[in-house]
Amino acid sequence: MKKLLVSVLAICLGLSLFGCSGGDGGKTDFDPIAEFGSNELYVFNWGEYIDESNIEAFEKKYNVTVYYKTFDSNEEMYTAIVGGDKYDIIVPSDYMVERLIKENLIQKLDLSLITNIGAIADGLKSPDYDPKHEYSIPYFQGSIGIVYDTTKVTMEELDEKGWDILLDTKYAGQICMYNADRDNFLPALKALGYSVNTNNDEEIQNAYQWLLTQKKTMSPAYVTDEVNDIMINGDKTLAVAYSGAAAYIMSENEDMGYYEPKQGTNIWSDAMCIPASSKNVKLAHAWINFCMEEEVAEKNSIAVGYTSGYQAVMDKLAKTEFDGINAYLPRVGYEKDEEYHDDNVLKTKLAELWNQVMFN
Amino acid sequence: MKTVKKLVTNVYFWLTMLFFYAPIIYVVIFSFNESKSLTRFTGFSLQWYKKMFESRSIREAIYYTLIIAIIATVISTIVGTLTAIGLSKSNKVLRAIVLQINDIPMMNPDIVTAIGFMLLFTSLGITKGFGTILLAHISFCIPYVILTVMPRLRQLDDNLAEAALDLGATPVQALTKVIIPQLKGAIISGALIAFTMSFDDFVISFFTSGPKVSNIAIYVYSSIKRINPTINALSTIIVVIVTTVLIIVNVVPMIKDRKLRGVQK
Repeated sequence: MKKLLVSVLAICLGLSLFGCSGGDGGKTDFDPIAEFGSNELYVFNWGEYIDESNIEAFEKKYNVTVYYKTFDSNEEMYTAIVGGDKYDIIVPSDYMVERLIKENLIQKLDLSLITNIGAIADGLKSPDYDPKHEYSIPYFQGSIGIVYDTTKVTMEELDEKGWDILLDTKYAGQICMYNADRDNFLPALKALGYSVNTNNDEEIQNAYQWLLTQKKTMSPAYVTDEVNDIMINGDKTLAVAYSGAAAYIMSENEDMGYYEPKQGTNIWSDAMCIPASSKNVKLAHAWINFCMEEEVAEKNSIAVGYTSGYQAVMDKLAKTEFDGINAYLPRVGYEKDEEYHDDNVLKTKLAELWNQVMFN
Repeated sequence: MKTVKKLVTNVYFWLTMLFFYAPIIYVVIFSFNESKSLTRFTGFSLQWYKKMFESRSIREAIYYTLIIAIIATVISTIVGTLTAIGLSKSNKVLRAIVLQINDIPMMNPDIVTAIGFMLLFTSLGITKGFGTILLAHISFCIPYVILTVMPRLRQLDDNLAEAALDLGATPVQALTKVIIPQLKGAIISGALIAFTMSFDDFVISFFTSGPKVSNIAIYVYSSIKRINPTINALSTIIVVIVTTVLIIVNVVPMIKDRKLRGVQK
């Protein structure tokens, strides 16, 4: 019994050494308390959404400690914030920023502290959810489109049919649909010429019928992130995918292309915000500004594979790291492209109908 | 006829084994993949292991997972065992009530427990962190310990403890020298269950850990969207550790046993 206790204690001791090792080397004599009033920062970001060396670089630069934690969905993050967890930086998606503003859960930014504000990409200068960047600064962006096998499908055919190519029985059994909230309805709504934020029940019903027909005639595979491997292996001809995933697929399989239909699509962005409950507001501003620096943003974009929210980085990487991959540069300023707006009623409606599609 | 029967049994056995272990083997193999793909093996490389050990988040996640699992296991095993022993000596009504209550946390969906904990800590104004996640883990581990120790207690001979007391043992001595040694097997299995429950819990951990603490489950779960073989490398290390521990737990008593027999001869 004693032996057991001793060994448990020994393990704990060993672990604590393991946990503390590293991270403290090379501190500067910068005084964060004098400058920012605090020396710790709590960041809540998506999983695998940063080049981790940037966290250490920030810590060294300002002589602070960053507590970095990750989440898997906007809703999860929202619950944690409402539940009283105090973070200084969160990175919600567009519609979630809208909701957080509505519910006063994030605070106004002091734009005078964000000197890199000019770096924001042209397409993100005035997003619907926060047109003047009073509350949020974009981080990554992208669109949804069709990944296609260039050896089997031509650009002309895509131009001609747009989203409706997903109803062309020539490709029956050869397509993947993206099975996530709202994204699943996007091809149908856009193919029929509706808004992705429509509240018209008739339009929603028509989109539902479109999806039912598709299921019957095309027998699509309903997938999420498996789409990467499916398309890299060339197992299917057409797949609905995020531009970020498409960029990765294209870098692994040269035969694949990315296409944004002319009927319009969804464009999205994730943005950095400071929760109302933040205690380290000044340092949080420093973090935002730091993430917008070209070198930092470039590292993040390369590590994550998503399109940077900053123009200079986009332009540079499109010519270097992502050369020849059009999915890295999503379409900008096209009037039929839309952001999702925060609308829980619509979301529930679509989710219910989607269940009927799946189990019909 | 016999050979056919044998063949069927064999095939059945190996299919079952394959079903159990193929996913683990698959994960291990792809942790050595050269490319980022999870389904196409392009060549051998250790880069994902390198990336894993370089990542501070992963190191911290491993650290917190293990330290929380160990402390939660030790405390919940002690509390659970003592509760079970106490219950076995108490009246039937009380025992029935406590055992019923004990079942509730296990039957309750994790997400309900998790949100419950989160709201409790928030309404009490407790800042979430290491303490809260540890408390939550201890509390959901205890019922499993009670549940495993209780049946073994029923088989115990009450007279043994009484005999010990008659022969001059103090109550504490009777407990530690007579009752607990007889429960050893059940206590160890209870502790192992508690450890694994704590080790791979995601939902409750996510909502009770606060901004400072993260564990392996949270890290892996939130990385699913942009999955890469680092996760496989992490899983491989876990499999290696768990297997080693199991081998030690099973082999050491065998060696001891053999030595003991050797001495007797």
